[in-house]
Amino acid sequence: MGQAQINGISTHYQRIPATGSDGPAPTVVCVHGIGYDSLASFYLTIASPVAEAGVDVLTYDLRGHGRTERPATGYLLADFIDDLRGLLDTLEVTRPVHLVGNSYGGTIAFAFAARYPDRVASIVSIESEPPTQQWSDKMGTTFRNVVEAMSDEQNIAWVGETFGSHYARLTRAASAVIAATTIVDEVAAGPLLAADGLAAIRCPVLSIVGSEGFQSDDLGAVAAMLPDCRTEVIDGQNHSVLVERHLLVRKLLLGWLAEHA
Amino acid sequence: MTTSRTDTFDEVCATLRDVLGVEPDEIEIEREMSLTDELGLESIDLVAVNAQLAERFGPQVNLAAHLAEMDIDDVIALTAGGLVDFVDDALAHDRRAER
Repeated sequence: MGQAQINGISTHYQRIPATGSDGPAPTVVCVHGIGYDSLASFYLTIASPVAEAGVDVLTYDLRGHGRTERPATGYLLADFIDDLRGLLDTLEVTRPVHLVGNSYGGTIAFAFAARYPDRVASIVSIESEPPTQQWSDKMGTTFRNVVEAMSDEQNIAWVGETFGSHYARLTRAASAVIAATTIVDEVAAGPLLAADGLAAIRCPVLSIVGSEGFQSDDLGAVAAMLPDCRTEVIDGQNHSVLVERHLLVRKLLLGWLAEHA
Repeated sequence: MTTSRTDTFDEVCATLRDVLGVEPDEIEIEREMSLTDELGLESIDLVAVNAQLAERFGPQVNLAAHLAEMDIDDVIALTAGGLVDFVDDALAHDRRAER
């Protein structure tokens, strides 16, 4: 376990070094989503097996999440990009990395690749989109709906009865982040990417989406807006691709790295 | 190092209390208690449990790698006793590998 001071925020990260590999190993950096997510979504699912396949794995808790400090404000996409840059610099990760982003973590990965194209070897996006105006509109609406639903204790009770008390606790944890910060107002605000920004994402991208997930309205939308993107659709799967289908995600990721690392 | 099952249970309970930030007299941990629903561990706490178990028992006890092979429902249902059994199995596997 590590704790580093990044942009004034005490940031929790975990490094799982490659095993069974001769020579310099590629580095995968896992970026989790917002709300009730944390680095645990990667650490407890794909991190160890990927490291055992000869890949250095780095994952960290975003500001306001997990064991990273929670400032009251500062949740613009630009802040998350600066944090990722700061973490890589602090840990002296200078070679281009393979970014694996889940949900909003994928959006951070796209924005980072647009700003620092030379630092990204590839992106594996899980239920994510680049930060376009369309994304912002959809994200803003979705987030406001979720916040409104979570403010009603009856809805949290329904979550508990329907999905189990574990998920009800997660929902309350997300409510705590929302109540203590300006994340709702800031997170969908960008800065957003227009056509030239999307064109700057030159690295190869693998977009993994659930057929019933965040991109269910247009499963090929991400591939259509990027220069080099392949889409993998998981039939019948909702937004929780990483947690519910982590064995398949691991297989896709290892195949992707074999091609691109 | 040879560790009996009773010792393992005590060590695992000490780990769980440490991660939860409670004293021994504050909570009595029983084998059948679920880590998440009854003891209140969040997934990020399991990352800390993973680190502490590796520190107490050695790197052959890799909880993260173990959980990576399980479905989310099985992870949520994991009990203190299940965690003890995992540690004992990992230690036994390591001892067999050494022979």
